[in-house]
Amino acid sequence: MLLVVILGVHLWLANFGQASSSLRAVLGVVLLGLALFHGLNGVRTVIFDFNIGAQGHKFTTMLLLLLGVVSLLFGMYGLWPLIVGG
Amino acid sequence: MTRRIARLFGRGGDLNPRNMRLGVWAWLIQRISGLVLVVFVVAHVVAISQASLVTKGPLFTLLDGLRNPFWYVDRTALAVDLLMLGIIAFHGMNGIRIVLFDTGIGVGLRSHKVIFWIVIAIAVVASGLVIYYGLPMLGGT
Repeated sequence: MLLVVILGVHLWLANFGQASSSLRAVLGVVLLGLALFHGLNGVRTVIFDFNIGAQGHKFTTMLLLLLGVVSLLFGMYGLWPLIVGG
Repeated sequence: MTRRIARLFGRGGDLNPRNMRLGVWAWLIQRISGLVLVVFVVAHVVAISQASLVTKGPLFTLLDGLRNPFWYVDRTALAVDLLMLGIIAFHGMNGIRIVLFDTGIGVGLRSHKVIFWIVIAIAVVASGLVIYYGLPMLGGT
Protein backbone atom coordinates (compact mmCIF):
# COMPACT_ATOMS: atom_id res chain seq x y z
CA MET A 1 0.00 0.00 0.00
CA LEU A 2 2.76 2.39 1.09
CA LEU A 3 4.74 1.48 -2.03
CA VAL A 4 1.81 2.44 -4.30
CA VAL A 5 1.37 5.77 -2.50
CA ILE A 6 5.10 6.66 -2.62
CA LEU A 7 5.29 5.52 -6.25
CA GLY A 8 2.41 7.87 -7.05
CA VAL A 9 4.26 10.76 -5.39
CA HIS A 10 7.45 9.74 -7.25
CA LEU A 11 5.66 9.82 -10.65
CA TRP A 12 4.03 13.14 -9.75
CA LEU A 13 7.36 14.72 -8.78
CA ALA A 14 9.08 13.27 -11.86
CA ASN A 15 6.55 15.08 -14.04
CA PHE A 16 5.79 18.27 -12.11
CA GLY A 17 8.84 18.66 -9.84
CA GLN A 18 7.59 20.76 -6.91
CA ALA A 19 9.49 19.56 -3.83
CA SER A 20 12.65 20.34 -1.92
CA SER A 21 15.82 18.31 -2.52
CA SER A 22 15.71 16.84 0.99
CA LEU A 23 12.12 15.61 0.55
CA ARG A 24 13.05 14.11 -2.84
CA ALA A 25 16.09 12.43 -1.28
CA VAL A 26 14.05 10.90 1.56
CA LEU A 27 11.31 9.75 -0.83
CA GLY A 28 13.91 8.37 -3.24
CA VAL A 29 15.72 6.32 -0.61
CA VAL A 30 12.48 5.05 0.98
CA LEU A 31 11.02 4.14 -2.42
CA LEU A 32 14.24 2.43 -3.46
CA GLY A 33 14.40 0.38 -0.25
CA LEU A 34 10.70 -0.60 -0.36
CA ALA A 35 10.78 -1.45 -4.09
CA LEU A 36 13.91 -3.56 -3.75
CA PHE A 37 12.62 -5.41 -0.69
CA HIS A 38 9.19 -6.01 -2.23
CA GLY A 39 10.59 -7.03 -5.61
CA LEU A 40 13.35 -9.32 -4.40
CA ASN A 41 11.07 -10.88 -1.77
CA GLY A 42 8.63 -11.58 -4.61
CA VAL A 43 11.39 -13.22 -6.65
CA ARG A 44 12.28 -15.30 -3.56
CA THR A 45 8.65 -16.44 -3.24
CA VAL A 46 8.50 -17.43 -6.92
CA ILE A 47 11.79 -19.38 -6.63
CA PHE A 48 10.59 -21.13 -3.44
CA ASP A 49 7.54 -22.39 -5.36
CA PHE A 50 9.91 -24.63 -7.35
CA ASN A 51 10.71 -26.88 -4.34
CA ILE A 52 14.42 -26.17 -4.11
CA GLY A 53 14.96 -27.59 -0.61
CA ALA A 54 16.18 -26.03 2.65
CA GLN A 55 19.72 -25.42 1.36
CA GLY A 56 18.31 -23.81 -1.76
CA HIS A 57 16.09 -21.58 0.36
CA LYS A 58 19.06 -20.37 2.38
CA PHE A 59 21.24 -19.84 -0.69
CA THR A 60 18.47 -17.97 -2.57
CA THR A 61 17.75 -15.73 0.43
CA MET A 62 21.41 -14.85 0.89
CA LEU A 63 21.97 -14.23 -2.84
CA LEU A 64 18.92 -11.97 -3.11
CA LEU A 65 19.86 -10.17 0.12
CA LEU A 66 23.30 -9.46 -1.32
CA LEU A 67 21.79 -8.29 -4.61
CA GLY A 68 19.40 -6.04 -2.68
CA VAL A 69 22.14 -4.44 -0.57
CA VAL A 70 24.35 -3.84 -3.63
CA SER A 71 21.42 -2.36 -5.60
CA LEU A 72 20.46 -0.16 -2.64
CA LEU A 73 24.01 1.20 -2.33
CA PHE A 74 24.26 1.73 -6.09
CA GLY A 75 20.89 3.48 -6.13
CA MET A 76 21.89 5.68 -3.19
CA TYR A 77 25.02 6.60 -5.12
CA GLY A 78 22.74 7.72 -7.96
CA LEU A 79 20.71 9.80 -5.52
CA TRP A 80 23.84 11.19 -3.87
CA PRO A 81 23.54 14.72 -5.38
CA LEU A 82 20.10 14.98 -3.71
CA ILE A 83 21.26 13.46 -0.41
CA VAL A 84 24.14 15.92 -0.05
CA GLY A 85 21.88 18.74 -1.20
CA GLY A 86 23.04 19.28 -4.80
CA MET B 1 -2.86 -28.16 -30.07
CA THR B 2 -5.47 -28.79 -27.37
CA ARG B 3 -3.85 -32.15 -26.60
CA ARG B 4 -0.41 -30.51 -26.39
CA ILE B 5 -1.70 -27.87 -23.93
CA ALA B 6 -3.39 -30.60 -21.87
CA ARG B 7 -0.12 -32.59 -21.78
CA LEU B 8 1.85 -29.49 -20.74
CA PHE B 9 -0.46 -28.21 -18.00
CA GLY B 10 -2.58 -31.28 -17.23
CA ARG B 11 -6.22 -31.66 -18.32
CA GLY B 12 -7.55 -30.34 -15.01
CA GLY B 13 -4.48 -28.21 -14.21
CA ASP B 14 -4.99 -24.71 -12.86
CA LEU B 15 -2.67 -23.25 -15.49
CA ASN B 16 -4.35 -24.98 -18.43
CA PRO B 17 -5.69 -21.95 -20.35
CA ARG B 18 -9.00 -23.82 -20.83
CA ASN B 19 -9.51 -23.95 -17.04
CA MET B 20 -8.20 -20.49 -16.20
CA ARG B 21 -10.68 -17.98 -14.82
CA LEU B 22 -10.21 -14.28 -14.12
CA GLY B 23 -8.58 -14.83 -10.70
CA VAL B 24 -5.94 -17.22 -12.06
CA TRP B 25 -5.16 -14.86 -14.94
CA ALA B 26 -4.78 -12.02 -12.41
CA TRP B 27 -2.46 -14.20 -10.27
CA LEU B 28 -0.36 -15.22 -13.29
CA ILE B 29 -0.06 -11.71 -14.73
CA GLN B 30 0.75 -10.35 -11.24
CA ARG B 31 3.67 -12.81 -10.96
CA ILE B 32 5.00 -12.19 -14.47
CA SER B 33 4.64 -8.40 -14.16
CA GLY B 34 6.41 -8.55 -10.78
CA LEU B 35 9.41 -10.32 -12.30
CA VAL B 36 9.48 -7.83 -15.20
CA LEU B 37 9.34 -4.92 -12.73
CA VAL B 38 12.30 -6.25 -10.70
CA VAL B 39 14.40 -6.13 -13.89
CA PHE B 40 13.00 -2.65 -14.63
CA VAL B 41 13.79 -1.32 -11.13
CA VAL B 42 17.40 -2.54 -11.37
CA ALA B 43 17.72 -1.05 -14.91
CA HIS B 44 16.15 2.22 -13.68
CA VAL B 45 18.60 2.42 -10.75
CA VAL B 46 21.55 1.66 -13.06
CA ALA B 47 20.41 4.33 -15.57
CA ILE B 48 20.14 7.04 -12.89
CA SER B 49 23.42 6.00 -11.24
CA GLN B 50 25.24 5.93 -14.60
CA ALA B 51 24.19 9.55 -15.09
CA SER B 52 25.78 10.34 -11.72
CA LEU B 53 28.97 8.57 -12.81
CA VAL B 54 29.41 10.54 -16.05
CA THR B 55 27.96 13.95 -15.15
CA LYS B 56 28.57 16.14 -12.15
CA GLY B 57 26.04 18.58 -10.75
CA PRO B 58 22.55 18.66 -9.25
CA LEU B 59 20.32 15.64 -9.84
CA PHE B 60 17.80 17.76 -11.74
CA THR B 61 20.49 18.47 -14.35
CA LEU B 62 21.25 14.77 -14.57
CA LEU B 63 17.58 13.92 -14.95
CA ASP B 64 17.19 16.55 -17.65
CA GLY B 65 19.94 14.75 -19.52
CA LEU B 66 18.03 11.49 -19.18
CA ARG B 67 14.68 12.94 -20.15
CA ASN B 68 15.18 13.43 -23.86
CA PRO B 69 16.64 10.05 -24.78
CA PHE B 70 14.07 8.27 -22.65
CA TRP B 71 10.97 10.17 -23.64
CA TYR B 72 11.52 11.89 -26.96
CA VAL B 73 14.42 10.95 -29.23
CA ASP B 74 14.16 7.18 -28.98
CA ARG B 75 10.64 6.04 -29.75
CA THR B 76 11.43 2.45 -28.76
CA ALA B 77 12.56 3.60 -25.31
CA LEU B 78 9.39 5.69 -25.07
CA ALA B 79 7.30 2.62 -25.93
CA VAL B 80 9.15 0.59 -23.27
CA ASP B 81 8.58 3.35 -20.69
CA LEU B 82 4.87 3.50 -21.50
CA LEU B 83 4.65 -0.30 -21.31
CA MET B 84 6.35 -0.18 -17.90
CA LEU B 85 3.91 2.51 -16.77
CA GLY B 86 1.02 0.20 -17.69
CA ILE B 87 2.65 -2.79 -15.97
CA ILE B 88 3.35 -0.74 -12.82
CA ALA B 89 -0.25 0.52 -12.74
CA PHE B 90 -1.64 -3.01 -13.15
CA HIS B 91 0.73 -4.56 -10.61
CA GLY B 92 0.13 -1.84 -8.02
CA MET B 93 -3.66 -1.76 -8.32
CA ASN B 94 -3.97 -5.55 -8.45
CA GLY B 95 -1.76 -5.63 -5.34
CA ILE B 96 -4.21 -3.31 -3.59
CA ARG B 97 -7.04 -5.66 -4.63
CA ILE B 98 -5.14 -8.58 -3.06
CA VAL B 99 -4.68 -6.59 0.18
CA LEU B 100 -8.43 -5.80 0.19
CA PHE B 101 -9.15 -9.50 -0.43
CA ASP B 102 -6.84 -10.49 2.47
CA THR B 103 -8.66 -8.10 4.79
CA GLY B 104 -12.01 -9.63 3.88
CA ILE B 105 -13.20 -6.98 1.42
CA GLY B 106 -14.51 -8.35 -1.88
CA VAL B 107 -14.28 -12.03 -0.91
CA GLY B 108 -17.47 -13.14 -2.69
CA LEU B 109 -17.08 -14.33 -6.27
CA ARG B 110 -19.14 -11.51 -7.75
CA SER B 111 -17.59 -8.69 -5.69
CA HIS B 112 -14.17 -10.26 -6.41
CA LYS B 113 -14.74 -9.69 -10.15
CA VAL B 114 -16.29 -6.25 -9.68
CA ILE B 115 -13.37 -5.04 -7.54
CA PHE B 116 -10.90 -6.45 -10.09
CA TRP B 117 -12.44 -4.42 -12.91
CA ILE B 118 -12.70 -1.31 -10.68
CA VAL B 119 -8.97 -1.42 -9.82
CA ILE B 120 -8.12 -2.03 -13.50
CA ALA B 121 -10.20 1.02 -14.44
CA ILE B 122 -8.33 3.08 -11.81
CA ALA B 123 -5.01 1.80 -13.22
CA VAL B 124 -6.02 2.83 -16.77
CA VAL B 125 -7.17 6.29 -15.62
CA ALA B 126 -4.00 6.84 -13.53
CA SER B 127 -1.77 5.80 -16.46
CA GLY B 128 -3.76 8.07 -18.76
CA LEU B 129 -3.31 11.03 -16.41
CA VAL B 130 0.47 10.47 -16.20
CA ILE B 131 0.69 10.27 -19.99
CA TYR B 132 -1.66 13.24 -20.58
CA TYR B 133 0.08 15.60 -18.13
CA GLY B 134 3.58 14.17 -18.13
CA LEU B 135 4.39 13.43 -21.74
CA PRO B 136 4.07 16.96 -23.23
CA MET B 137 6.19 18.37 -20.36
CA LEU B 138 8.92 15.84 -21.08
CA GLY B 139 9.14 16.68 -24.78
CA GLY B 140 7.07 13.84 -26.16
CA THR B 141 4.13 14.47 -28.46
